[in-house]
Amino acid sequence: MSLKMIGTLLAATSLAAISTVAMAAPQCATAPVTVGFLPKLDTDPYFQVAQTGADEAAAEIGGKAIKQAPSAATAEAQIEFINNLVSQQVGVIAISANDANAVAPALKRAMDQGVHVVSYDSDVAPDARTLFLNQAKGDSLAEMMLESMGQLIRYKGDFAILSSTPTAANQNAWIDLIKSKLASDSKYADMKLVQVSYGEESEQVNQQQALALAQAFPDLKGIIVPAGIGLPAAARALEQASMLGQVKLTGLAPATLIKKYIEDGSVQDIWWNVKDLGYLTYYAAQAVASCAITGKEGETFKAGRLGEYTIAAGGEVVLGPAEIVTPANVDEFKF
Amino acid sequence: MFAPAQNNLARFANWDNFLAVLTILVIAYACLFVPNFLTSFNISQAIAGASERALIVLPMVLLIIAREIDLSVASILALSSVCFGLLIQAGMPMFPAIALTIVAGGLCGAFNGALVTRLALPSLVVTLATMAMFRGLGYIVLGSGSINAFPNAFLDFGIGNVPGTPIPWTIVPFLILAPVFAIVLQKMPAGRRIYAIGGSPAAARYSGVRIERTVFMLFVTSGAVCAIAGLVYAARLANARANNAVGLELDVITIALLGGLSVFGGKGRLTGVLWALLLVATIRNVLGLLQIGGDAQGSVIGLLLIGSLLASNAARQVFERVRSAFSYSHTRR
Repeated sequence: MSLKMIGTLLAATSLAAISTVAMAAPQCATAPVTVGFLPKLDTDPYFQVAQTGADEAAAEIGGKAIKQAPSAATAEAQIEFINNLVSQQVGVIAISANDANAVAPALKRAMDQGVHVVSYDSDVAPDARTLFLNQAKGDSLAEMMLESMGQLIRYKGDFAILSSTPTAANQNAWIDLIKSKLASDSKYADMKLVQVSYGEESEQVNQQQALALAQAFPDLKGIIVPAGIGLPAAARALEQASMLGQVKLTGLAPATLIKKYIEDGSVQDIWWNVKDLGYLTYYAAQAVASCAITGKEGETFKAGRLGEYTIAAGGEVVLGPAEIVTPANVDEFKF
Repeated sequence: MFAPAQNNLARFANWDNFLAVLTILVIAYACLFVPNFLTSFNISQAIAGASERALIVLPMVLLIIAREIDLSVASILALSSVCFGLLIQAGMPMFPAIALTIVAGGLCGAFNGALVTRLALPSLVVTLATMAMFRGLGYIVLGSGSINAFPNAFLDFGIGNVPGTPIPWTIVPFLILAPVFAIVLQKMPAGRRIYAIGGSPAAARYSGVRIERTVFMLFVTSGAVCAIAGLVYAARLANARANNAVGLELDVITIALLGGLSVFGGKGRLTGVLWALLLVATIRNVLGLLQIGGDAQGSVIGLLLIGSLLASNAARQVFERVRSAFSYSHTRR
């Protein structure tokens, strides 16, 4: 019986072979194409907001922005969707990778089938894409978080870091940068980093760890929380314990989630306009599809209302500087 | 006078054929109405995407029929891929590294098997523990990093098709192993022992089946096949890392149960499970082509499983009524 079943499989596949569609290497589109956005996760609000920017851009210059993403943030799940998008014959795939190297073979195969590839938010191996649309430079984020903490505690006193997981690559790089900046810059001479804790990407753990830090270090003036889920959680926990304000917070998180704490001055945030990332990615994808740009350093392209962008080394395009969110500008951020 | 035809009808009325009809209907629908389904790229990638599940479901079927389960399959897969990556990184040639990796997978399975048979622990608990342990070992030896440099022949196996066909190389190990498993389970004494153990362990023991030995070998087989799946996975993604294939065990068990296996053992056939495998892979592919995201796909597969449980309960009653009606008319004649 199972032999018969395998026979069915073989029959089905050979049937498919007959109906093979001719494919070509990436070609230059003469009209706006369909851009398939492939975020890390289907339900992540970050990517949903970015998608509104892509839709806005599509309305301006034509073409189509579609979005498809897996239910688990794994490379394997993303590969299925890369293949799906290729089968649908989209012009460009814009991916935020769950695993930079693991999705690369599938992306290269997509290129062989005539599909262009750009990455946004989280890069893939450079030889598997034309461009990387980066929301912010990592170095500048680390400096801005430290600067923001300095502003909040008047450059004096103990502070802690509540990071994501001990193995999170971005966060660890930022923490190292903060440490070296503390040691080298006299502006921060009176500030002392007393501990690095981890919130493990969990709301509860972040709340417990924030409270534990405040209790363990009675002189603690502030906590830097460089993880999206951690900052709102820490703010809520400290507020409930009536310690927010006495302990100030800054870090990376969607500004709208902590708006009320930013407005009362006890929390700052480093953030960027997420919608613009989707908008920029769409413009860049269309420019790549029409061969107006090929990913070489120094090439330029226009991105609608955001103006002109220049491609930096390694095919990287940076959205723009992030901003320190304070009561003065919090209303500018829609996410 | 109509008895032969009626007998055929009665023989046709079973779960395997129900799944077969359902699968063929879904494929026919996809061929006719889903744009781009019938391209060789899509077919070949859909098959490649199911490679590891297809492999792992083979020993899982045997285990479930024998009233056991192996929850550590995805973790053995991950640990094997890490093991292979490290061996290659250390400069070992490809074929010895492949052999050693399969042995390592077999050892993981033997560890499960020994705990289950020697210490008489329930396999659900044992493999729940080793599920965490094997993946943990992967993290200990490789950390959260990954190994991406493999021999070209290995990478070609991971992304290429059998020349002249849309059949990806990654499904070939399954195409070789599936007939072997089918023959062992359905035609050989070992298969009958497995059904006997699942049907009634006590009866099997009294009729001279060495239960421990059979069960131990099933776990070893499961480990070795998971290692092969780990190699396939590492080749397909050009990636060896400890978080490979997280959650795959549930997909595999879903397919096995949808295929008509009973969680209480002793029942079900490989044929049904292979149809279930094809059905789930096709549905996921079609939903993807229709631009339906992963969460909604998961819901559809979940509904399918619940629906199939209800349908199989109802169907059993119908089938039995059909059969008894025919056998009644048979005897009356």
